[in-house]
Amino acid sequence: MKAFQQNLKKLEAADTQVLGVSMDSPFANKAFADQIGVTFPLLSDWGGDVTRQYGIYVDKYKAPRRVNFLIGKDGKILEEQIDRDAIDPKKIVDACERKKLSR
Amino acid sequence: MKRKSVSTILGVWLLTAAILCPEIKAQGNKPEPPMKLKVGDVAPDFKLQYFDGSDEKEVSLSQYRGKSNVVLAFYIFAFTGG
Repeated sequence: MKAFQQNLKKLEAADTQVLGVSMDSPFANKAFADQIGVTFPLLSDWGGDVTRQYGIYVDKYKAPRRVNFLIGKDGKILEEQIDRDAIDPKKIVDACERKKLSR
Repeated sequence: MKRKSVSTILGVWLLTAAILCPEIKAQGNKPEPPMKLKVGDVAPDFKLQYFDGSDEKEVSLSQYRGKSNVVLAFYIFAFTGG
């Protein structure tokens, strides 16, 4: 989440809203956001319905996999970063900037 | 006699380890399950809440349709790295 915060200005300049999602409660997420200085919303998928809908629920951990989706204005998925690859969001930041230039 | 039983136990242990090791190694190399949603698919809509410090706010994916791109960053637990 910190990595997205560091790139937030670039992403916002490319018309991109960042939303974090986990299965923690809204209050835990707020405390987490404050602790690491995240200013974008950290959404609470309490119960995991959305995590399951996106097909990334891990039964063993009772939690989502680490995945970043870049979703275009038309609602379609443009990029995916999965597990270890999702730690550094560079691919998504670059894709947003390319899109901005190609407009 | 005693020495013999020790070497028998050691032998059995080594045999077990030899059998189990490749399995344990294979588990570590197990490929991650494929993604259900792929690039080009429509991202399912949702409504989720967050707490902004004073109120619980609701966010849906569809509210950004036609307006902005959205990065959905799923993370495993709060208070962990990344």
